[in-house]
Amino acid sequence: MRPGRVVTYVVLIGAALLVIFPVYYVIAGSVMAPGQISSYPPDLFPHGIFTGNYQGATSSGTPIGQQYVNSILQTSIITLAQLITSVLAAYAFVFMKMWGRSVLFGLFLATLMVPWESIVLPNYLTITGWSIGGERLTASYAGTMIALVLPFLANAFGVFLLRQSFLQFPAELRDAATIDGCGHWRFLRRILLPLNKPALMAVGLYVFLSAWNQFFWPLLIGDSASRRTLQIGISQLNDAEAADPGLILAGVTLSILPTLAIVVFGQRFIVRGLTAGAIR
Amino acid sequence: MLVPCLVVFALFIIWPLGKSVSLSLHGSDLFGRPDTYVGLQHYKDMLGSAEFRHILWVTFAFVLLTVVPGVLGALVVVLLLEQHIKGIRIFRTAFALPFAFSVASASVIFATIYNPAIGLANGLLGRFGVDRIGWLTDPSWALISVSITTVWMSVGYNVLVLSAGIGAIPTEINEAATLDGAGGFRAARYITIPLLGPQLFFLVVISTIQSLQGFGQIKILTPEGGPEQSTKTLVYSIYHTAFANNASDFGAASAQAIVLLVILLACTAIQFGVLERRVHYK
Amino acid sequence: MLMRSVLQRRTAAAGSLLAVLALVAAGCGGDSSNDDSGSGALDAPDASALDKASGVTKVTFWHGMKGANGAAVDKLVKAFNAANSPKIEVTAVYQGDYDDTITKYKTSVQQGNTPSVVQIYDIGSRFMIDSKQTVPVQKFADKDGYTLDSIEPNIANYYSIDSQLNSMPFNTSMPLLYINKEAFVKAGLDPNKPPSNLDEIMTAAKKLTIKQGGKTVQYGFNAAIYGWFMEQLIAQSGTTYCDNDNGRKDLATKVNFADEQGVKVATWYQEMVKQGLMPNTGKKTDDAQAVFKSGTSAMHLESTGSLRGYLDAAKGKFTVLTAPFPHLTASDTGGPIIGGASLWIDGPGHSDAEKRASWEFVKFASSPAQQAAWHTGTGYFPINKKALDEPEDKAWVAQYPQFTTAITQLHNTKPTNASSGCILGVMPQARKAAEDGLEKAVLGTDPTTAMKAAADSIKPQIDQYNKTVKK
Repeated sequence: MRPGRVVTYVVLIGAALLVIFPVYYVIAGSVMAPGQISSYPPDLFPHGIFTGNYQGATSSGTPIGQQYVNSILQTSIITLAQLITSVLAAYAFVFMKMWGRSVLFGLFLATLMVPWESIVLPNYLTITGWSIGGERLTASYAGTMIALVLPFLANAFGVFLLRQSFLQFPAELRDAATIDGCGHWRFLRRILLPLNKPALMAVGLYVFLSAWNQFFWPLLIGDSASRRTLQIGISQLNDAEAADPGLILAGVTLSILPTLAIVVFGQRFIVRGLTAGAIR
Repeated sequence: MLVPCLVVFALFIIWPLGKSVSLSLHGSDLFGRPDTYVGLQHYKDMLGSAEFRHILWVTFAFVLLTVVPGVLGALVVVLLLEQHIKGIRIFRTAFALPFAFSVASASVIFATIYNPAIGLANGLLGRFGVDRIGWLTDPSWALISVSITTVWMSVGYNVLVLSAGIGAIPTEINEAATLDGAGGFRAARYITIPLLGPQLFFLVVISTIQSLQGFGQIKILTPEGGPEQSTKTLVYSIYHTAFANNASDFGAASAQAIVLLVILLACTAIQFGVLERRVHYK
Repeated sequence: MLMRSVLQRRTAAAGSLLAVLALVAAGCGGDSSNDDSGSGALDAPDASALDKASGVTKVTFWHGMKGANGAAVDKLVKAFNAANSPKIEVTAVYQGDYDDTITKYKTSVQQGNTPSVVQIYDIGSRFMIDSKQTVPVQKFADKDGYTLDSIEPNIANYYSIDSQLNSMPFNTSMPLLYINKEAFVKAGLDPNKPPSNLDEIMTAAKKLTIKQGGKTVQYGFNAAIYGWFMEQLIAQSGTTYCDNDNGRKDLATKVNFADEQGVKVATWYQEMVKQGLMPNTGKKTDDAQAVFKSGTSAMHLESTGSLRGYLDAAKGKFTVLTAPFPHLTASDTGGPIIGGASLWIDGPGHSDAEKRASWEFVKFASSPAQQAAWHTGTGYFPINKKALDEPEDKAWVAQYPQFTTAITQLHNTKPTNASSGCILGVMPQARKAAEDGLEKAVLGTDPTTAMKAAADSIKPQIDQYNKTVKK
């Protein structure tokens, strides 16, 4: 092998090992007994499989199971809502005539420029100030969930991507369909959406991941551990069980299993989805 | 059709934007709620304070320490992978793994590795006879440690995007280059990289925005803003001023939030204005 | 690309539209003010309120206890619920450490949904009183004719302002010097004659630090960069931490930790780290605890509340001994300030039945039997004098005399202004400022400069607080 290729392989393998190391460690650490993981100098390889950490993680004061459910609920609602609102808006921009269309679209794009952290405080004051039927919004589980998802029901990113995708649809075909008596809704459901699956999946995946990953907002919403999302739960677990790193790592391992599976087995799918927006 | 989006935007983006400005012009009571009008006092205090200048510096340094290695590192990896490597699928999967980790999970794992008492990072250094490093307790290292975690998290996405970009380059171009006598480096520099322009630009913009908004990893790895506030970025400062440590001041925090907005707009404008010129689109 | 420049133009135009809309919204944005609850909210209702209540009266209890202490809280709550079902049900919620708990509490006041009972640390007391959200425990006691005499006088003193007990002491602690017995023996030191001041600790640490091949295998000493220790060392030297008689004569206006004593502490911390006798693990107490628990340090400063956790962690590895908290210098005779936290009962927004139920819970938590269980389960010492007579407590203490060190220390402390601790509305921030100063010194800055900068940094916050409260 040419010396250049040896270097290439060495660099690649080295980089790959560095990147994989934390993945290895979270799993290895989660099966280390408390005595081993808290020892100094620390060990690299577990001495045996200790399952106590997993038992501890699922029965600790931090209810990861419930938080898992909360996260899934929150993420699904946001993803679905954004898909719906983005489809509607993109459709309107592409296929409907309206006054000030360019300006409105520019307005939508401008909202992308506003970082969430710059408007989080007013949103926080507003939403936590609401009451329904005399009871504070965040006093109930349902109310907390609403507070979690409300600001994120629409996002211009999806509108932008879908508009790009819809623009590819040939105008002549649209006209032909109209002549055939196809109204907006029929056209949308029967023709446009099925043809734009890749773009829809791209938006869906992107929104799903960013909603799942959210940290700042869920940190502020949710009075009790059982109403918080998984991400906040993990950071609380890190705090509450600081004396037991193995337990913490077990909790983290449990939390990443689904996304890990998606990345490992669904790589091609992800690539197609995520990069649809980037390559344009 | 547009109504749903418009309603959400109006309620949760446009109106709050104005309210943020309004909040930044008020002081706050014992519980942080806005009370008396103070005009531009918060802004004056901020711009005059050395602490705020420090926060801006930390933010700027953080962006640099994460965007540059993140994009460059991914670029190098992807270019190397192009050299007809055996087991490319395994490598691709390996580099994509960080993608599965959320900010919270990645930060917690790294927090354990960086732990000053029992962390693996110092343990491994010890085996090589190197003295302990205060990853999260030494102000010279804390920001670097947080940046390492951030870069690790972004590697997956960056590699995926660049791989897709390279995949879109027709192989004839590379073959033509080889025929013309251009070796690996030359081909990369004059052909592949320019052709990856759009993706690289996209990654730089996205990474910058993400780093400017970085929060979770800083809060988990260095609660309190790090040793000597060495990891106190603007976003962390907004959170800290408004919600942490008994010092609720929504007014001052909102002023910082407006500054964040201005900086983000400026960065993006500069990037579009300066960098995008150099990007070749097909 | 044409598309992009068109987009840019549109974006610019719409950006200005956005700005205009936002400015309009700014003008329209009115302030939301929470209305004041009537003064009845801060009174203690009488027992009939609970008796008349139908169904289960729910009580939420926010606390900051984790690990072994968290388990002890859960045990306490379970016992209470068992004894009081189906009338009262208490739910305990862990909110993070003390700082997080008070922050969350502040947030809950903003949102108008405060918990029924909340555990707030000692230094949050001034703030809690000024917040006017709680019903003083004294009022309940007076209404019921319930005597508060069995509370340890030193502790009751700390939590009383103008002879009114505002909150019920719950977990009271004092700082201790922890010792790794085997390490002492190995170094030829007598574990029964522990160092009693900072200089002696440094001397002992020199003998206890073990290096192998250039790397430190065992540190002589370790402590977190924790503002609480600064407060303790200053108190023991007989000086007040803040002015105006430690904030008891009038609202305090400045802190004194930039003076001689504070600088001495900072210098000592700096030297210990510089000479390699102590590792710098930062401000997080968890990290410092991990060092001692793993046997990596031979001496350690922490609260007596960590004792149980340490004993459990060290089982089979080494023996944990306790000694009185060191003095600043050999000539100091003062005692340390009591630390820990107390339980506050919230008034506004809570029904009378709920307030009575909260009082029942608070009484239960301070009863002799429960305090005995709390003592042996954590290391915090019992606030109720009678708890020490409980057989469970006596048996445990006979087996683990380490649990009496703090109590002896408490009984030996003459209550003075200095040992009563500083009452300051922004005390939590002041503690953090002291930590910043200590950290700067540890990292190399001249201690006098570092502590002065820290004291200066907290001044504007003190002024701001005083201004807000005097309104």
